[in-house]
Amino acid sequence: MADFRLRVTYRMAGRLVMLSHLEVARALERIVRRADLPYAVSQGFSPHMKMAFGAALPVGVGGEEEIFDVQLTEYVAADAALARLRQASSADLMPIAAHYITKDDAAASVAYPFSTYRACIAFDDADAGDDEDLKRAVASRPVPASITVVRKKKEKVLVPSEFIVGDMVRDGSVLEFTLEAKKTGSLRPDVLLDAMLENSGLHAVSVMRIRQAAQR
Amino acid sequence: MTDLWPRIEGLLRQAGRSVERPARYLNHEWGCTYKPDAPYRFCMVYPDTYELGQANQAVRILCNCVNAVDGMAAERAFLPAADMCDLMRKEEIPAFSLESCAPIAEFDAIGVTLPHELAATNVLEFLDLAGLAVRSADRGQNDPMVFAGGPCAFNAEPYAPFFDAIMLGEGEESLPELLALHRCMKGEGASREDMLRAMARLDGVYVPSLYDVLDEEEAQRRGAWAVPRYDDVPAVVEKRLWDGFAESDAYEPMIVPYTEVVHDRLNVEVLRGCTRGCRFCQAGMMYRPVRERSADNIVSAVCRGLAETGYDEVSLTSLSSTDHSQIEEILRRLNRALEGKGISVSIPSQRLDSFGVEMAELVAGGKRGGLTFAPEAGTQRLRDVINKGVTEDDLFGAIDAAFAAGWRRCKLYFMIGLPTETDDDIKGIASLAQRAYDRAKKAVPENQRGNVRVSISCALFVPKAQTPFQWDGQIAPEEAKRRIDLLRRSVKYRAVDVHWHEPDVSLVEAMMSRGGREVADVVERAWRSGARFDAWTEHFSLDGWRAACDACGVSMEGIAQATYDTDYIPPWSHLSAGLFVKFLQRERKLAQQEKTTPDCTFDHCSACGVCMGLGTAIQTQEARHG
Repeated sequence: MADFRLRVTYRMAGRLVMLSHLEVARALERIVRRADLPYAVSQGFSPHMKMAFGAALPVGVGGEEEIFDVQLTEYVAADAALARLRQASSADLMPIAAHYITKDDAAASVAYPFSTYRACIAFDDADAGDDEDLKRAVASRPVPASITVVRKKKEKVLVPSEFIVGDMVRDGSVLEFTLEAKKTGSLRPDVLLDAMLENSGLHAVSVMRIRQAAQR
Repeated sequence: MTDLWPRIEGLLRQAGRSVERPARYLNHEWGCTYKPDAPYRFCMVYPDTYELGQANQAVRILCNCVNAVDGMAAERAFLPAADMCDLMRKEEIPAFSLESCAPIAEFDAIGVTLPHELAATNVLEFLDLAGLAVRSADRGQNDPMVFAGGPCAFNAEPYAPFFDAIMLGEGEESLPELLALHRCMKGEGASREDMLRAMARLDGVYVPSLYDVLDEEEAQRRGAWAVPRYDDVPAVVEKRLWDGFAESDAYEPMIVPYTEVVHDRLNVEVLRGCTRGCRFCQAGMMYRPVRERSADNIVSAVCRGLAETGYDEVSLTSLSSTDHSQIEEILRRLNRALEGKGISVSIPSQRLDSFGVEMAELVAGGKRGGLTFAPEAGTQRLRDVINKGVTEDDLFGAIDAAFAAGWRRCKLYFMIGLPTETDDDIKGIASLAQRAYDRAKKAVPENQRGNVRVSISCALFVPKAQTPFQWDGQIAPEEAKRRIDLLRRSVKYRAVDVHWHEPDVSLVEAMMSRGGREVADVVERAWRSGARFDAWTEHFSLDGWRAACDACGVSMEGIAQATYDTDYIPPWSHLSAGLFVKFLQRERKLAQQEKTTPDCTFDHCSACGVCMGLGTAIQTQEARHG
């Protein structure tokens, strides 16, 4: 059977950043069906669309350039496929680019191990201070030396410096940082922010993955 | 309208992972209708969480009907989950609609569907969270009208004081009519009292505040518990029926949720009504007569629905889809049209007597999950009492067909505590399930026999209003537990599992199902003491309900367990599903004589009264062969 692997880049923003990875995956599959693309279906006990998704985002974190791959049985020009996908999508979960990839390209889930995030920070109490106060408060928050997380009922200690690539940029109320996903595990951006902002009277009002890269 | 989204978003952000499933509160799903400029605003409410309510057919159909009217907008609202309710109360954020994210109190009217007996405290939780008085009598001139409808409306008394008006029957025509009347009179500046009086004159609309409630003795003497205060208010409110169902487009626009909901698939309603005449079944009594949509209509609706939603599964819904006179043609055409697309076609309930080899091949495409059949009772004697109309041979034939066609798991659904049930009937359930297991094993290749599973699922009989068994009491929970134990001991096969529904829960269901207006006080007391989400095992507390009954001087057991003669006037006698009382009385007598009544779509008319009383008729596409 012909194998055309279409890699689609989409933007997830607005209130849909509250969706879980599973919810996004299901929504994207339905977008492909609504777009009436000639998707391939797996054979077996429970036939399903042949699709692969990029690295998961935590609930509450959006993405400017997220990816998924869908296998097609017929060639459809990438631009035409994109137009059909866009017509079948909600504004806050919108495909923005599409191109074909080959078998030599890395799978969507591991294609981009480096993720850059941008977080906008605010005071819990809006009257706690002005922009200058906020800037100082954000600048003063240290990156913790270690963070203890519970995964599958087991405690695990993560060292942020092992995951943070380059400097953390602090620009007023905005924090920007790059995290590397390792084969042994990852540090989630929301976990890092929670640890940094704990008991500070600050919280993140939005977190977006603004870039993904294959290399540093 | 006030946009609460910034506050909701802030709440979700700050609460972080402590709020479960934020997707419940987002809106913006594919297929939403949003009419921000419509001057008249209605909100359809499902009194439970989004994942239970979003799939509800009433919410879907009625929102579409209202949105189709010029100048009217319908939005959806669901009861936030317990964690979110508590957080919203703490932050003083009121209950909100999804589309506008507006406070419920800013709508012109709200409509609450009453899907089952355990949703009553959730209705009060929602109204209170919305900042509305829970009792109609305490609402002001500027408050929204609060309407209700749905299955529980057929005994509306335990809910009566909470609603301004309650609609009986199908709402496709009656809800827009009711809202149009409200819109017009509100525009003219009419008082709430005048509007309610006018609403009571619409067919199928019950305005509880316009009736006096009598005590039991007087009710038995006068023939009704609730009697109208005015001459122009009907003594009996009869259900509305939408006669255009069969001819109407089976395609019904559908919202595609982001989060996983129950029945998360395209639903296409293929027929309405069921006249098999099971004597315990309220749905079978209240959705009469049978009306089928055509195969062309259904196939085209499925194809359009799948294209517009992107679902990978479609369910052909109804009370008994395999009874559709063209069901084989429909399934064959759909399987052909959907071949190779990874899309499956399912049927929610399979009649034992209409599930043959052909049907087994046609249902579910390539997927073979579990199958559920409902023999309901373990012996032929008891199946005749309840008029189930299926035999052991039907069950074994269906099992042969299903397991030969690839299924490996089957659930058999039974009721415990049906009228006239004896220990032999309970032992009969075990015997039937074990013999079904033997048949299933024989029907599969030898090397796959280890995978064969049969499970028994049983629930306690709950007597329902507007059925021939409305006069029959429920057995006590202790007796139910004894019978369940007997069943468990009687099942000897390890491959046959027994599951059961908690009898304590069914006791409250029976009280809600058969209670009069005094039960409304119990509901309010239970809710004020903390009861909500009673349908959720982790939230249900029988002790809370018992305490509420004690405080209100109401006997839960008295209401749930009393058995009456058929000349007893029940508290819902002023509400009618269109059935002759004589029909219900006759059916109950036949039950006691262990005699069956045939389905009128296959055989002669059973004189239930619906076609005659409501001026309608059975509408099948072709002759049915039972």
